[in-house]
Amino acid sequence: MEEALTKEEVLHVADLARISLTEEEISKYQVELKKLLNDVEKINEVKGYDDDILIACWNNNAELRKDEEGTMLDPKEVVNNAPRHSGNYIEVPVVISEGEGA
Amino acid sequence: MSNYIPTIGVEVHVELKTKTKIFSNSINGYGEMANSLTNVIDLGYPGTLPTLNEEVINLGIKAAAILNCKIRRVMHFDRKNYFYPDISKNYQITQNDTPIGYDGYVEITKSTGEKKKVYIEEMHIEEDTCKSAHRGTKTLLDFNRAGVPLIEIVTKPCMSDGEDVKLYLEKLRELLSFGDISDCKIEEGSMRADVNVSIRKNESDPLGTKAEIKNIGSISNAKLGVEKEIERQTKIYEAGETFKPQTRRFDDKLNDTVLMRVKETGNDYRYFPEPDIPYVILTDEMIEDAVNSIPMLPDERRERYIALGVSEINTNKIVANRSLSDYFNTLLDEKINHQVASNLLLGDISGYLNKNEKTIYDTTLSKERFIELVNLVSDNTLTSKNLKDILDIVLESDKSIQTIMSEQGIENITDDSEIRNIVKGIINNNPESVNDYKAGHDRAIKYLMGQVMKETKGKANPKMAMDILVEELN
Repeated sequence: MEEALTKEEVLHVADLARISLTEEEISKYQVELKKLLNDVEKINEVKGYDDDILIACWNNNAELRKDEEGTMLDPKEVVNNAPRHSGNYIEVPVVISEGEGA
Repeated sequence: MSNYIPTIGVEVHVELKTKTKIFSNSINGYGEMANSLTNVIDLGYPGTLPTLNEEVINLGIKAAAILNCKIRRVMHFDRKNYFYPDISKNYQITQNDTPIGYDGYVEITKSTGEKKKVYIEEMHIEEDTCKSAHRGTKTLLDFNRAGVPLIEIVTKPCMSDGEDVKLYLEKLRELLSFGDISDCKIEEGSMRADVNVSIRKNESDPLGTKAEIKNIGSISNAKLGVEKEIERQTKIYEAGETFKPQTRRFDDKLNDTVLMRVKETGNDYRYFPEPDIPYVILTDEMIEDAVNSIPMLPDERRERYIALGVSEINTNKIVANRSLSDYFNTLLDEKINHQVASNLLLGDISGYLNKNEKTIYDTTLSKERFIELVNLVSDNTLTSKNLKDILDIVLESDKSIQTIMSEQGIENITDDSEIRNIVKGIINNNPESVNDYKAGHDRAIKYLMGQVMKETKGKANPKMAMDILVEELN
């Protein structure tokens, strides 16, 4: 097994997480992230059904909720709990170009 | 004309018509004060857990059935991970591995009359993100939309021009709105389309580089966007150049697509199964109940109306108006003249509804009273002029149409011998016109008929009077 991720791989993951790293941190994560991945790889050794993804440790059907209204939050409370707001809107810095996301 | 073969696929998001959100019991609403339709689940607060709304599954099954998809019996949700302020918990709950519907199609009819199937790769359920508005260096967030249930419908790359895309989107909107799945209001964002366009020289070539067009505000813009994009890509290849996969948006001021960003390659969303929602297992009963509650769809409505003798023009006009069409559907098994019924609904009654901004269901016109009205008009007991005079009362009171007619002094002489006596008198007093009629002058009978109506002050049943007049003249 490889002992470390490449520097580019670490920088790519950091970019997806929108964080910047120092050179020292990059070296550290090259090793640590690889160790984590190697540990996770061990799951593949467990015998399972190929066509069945295990997502819960029981086979119960998900409990479905009736389509009935419940209590909602006061918008003032919502925006006051955010670091910044503008009127009733939560305010954040522009991150990347428009339309990013789902 | 381009020498290239375009390949086009469409992804459509529609918001489902539920009362509450997909994973929380906040109201699923539009146009309310920002951040007033939220709770801790929609805002992605730590420690909250999603609970799946059963109506979302119900509508998902219906939509899959309407789009001729196979329905998956055991499914789960997945987390699509990305960092962006429109999703505060940093992942969107979606169905990546097990979409509720797959391998479906809808049929479109091209302007040449050719029928074409648009194949649906899959349709999955997911949550909508919050709405963000960019203001200079700031972004303003409104979480009212966060957690609104969506279905995303993905076609195979099987369309070949702007017309295909337009017809597909129109058909989809018609099917999903008649199926009560979604409002499908593009202007309010409850239906949103992204179109993928690539071109290649020969069928045997691999698919060309893809450009995705987002932000399409109307169906006609989707068609135009596709046409402009095909033009743009053709120019690039003709100049011997290439381009990178990219996302573009339709700018309705420029009437053209503009570059948004060059797409990263590879899948960086790191999907994994959502552990907070166990498997969703659909029973036969759930599927049957959902499918049986699908309202009659537009194509079947058109077929039934035409079979009842309604003209094609009237049929299309009625089907274009959901509430009129639902009302008309209640009359399908009645022994009435359906063409007359359709004329009434589309004529004076629609005029009244438009003027008063009402639907047929806001009036007092019960099915029974409408049938009475149709029959009175069909046998000419109530003339169109007289109907106009009493229409407001017909639509605003509960009285029978006959009662309204007599209260308003609209009498109708339907007694055969009474009309015959009058007709005989008119014939005796107008020998010249009788001769003209016998000599083959059509206008003479109209004159004589006018005299009958004058004599009876318009009260003779016109059809009876005409029949008797013809009889007596011959």
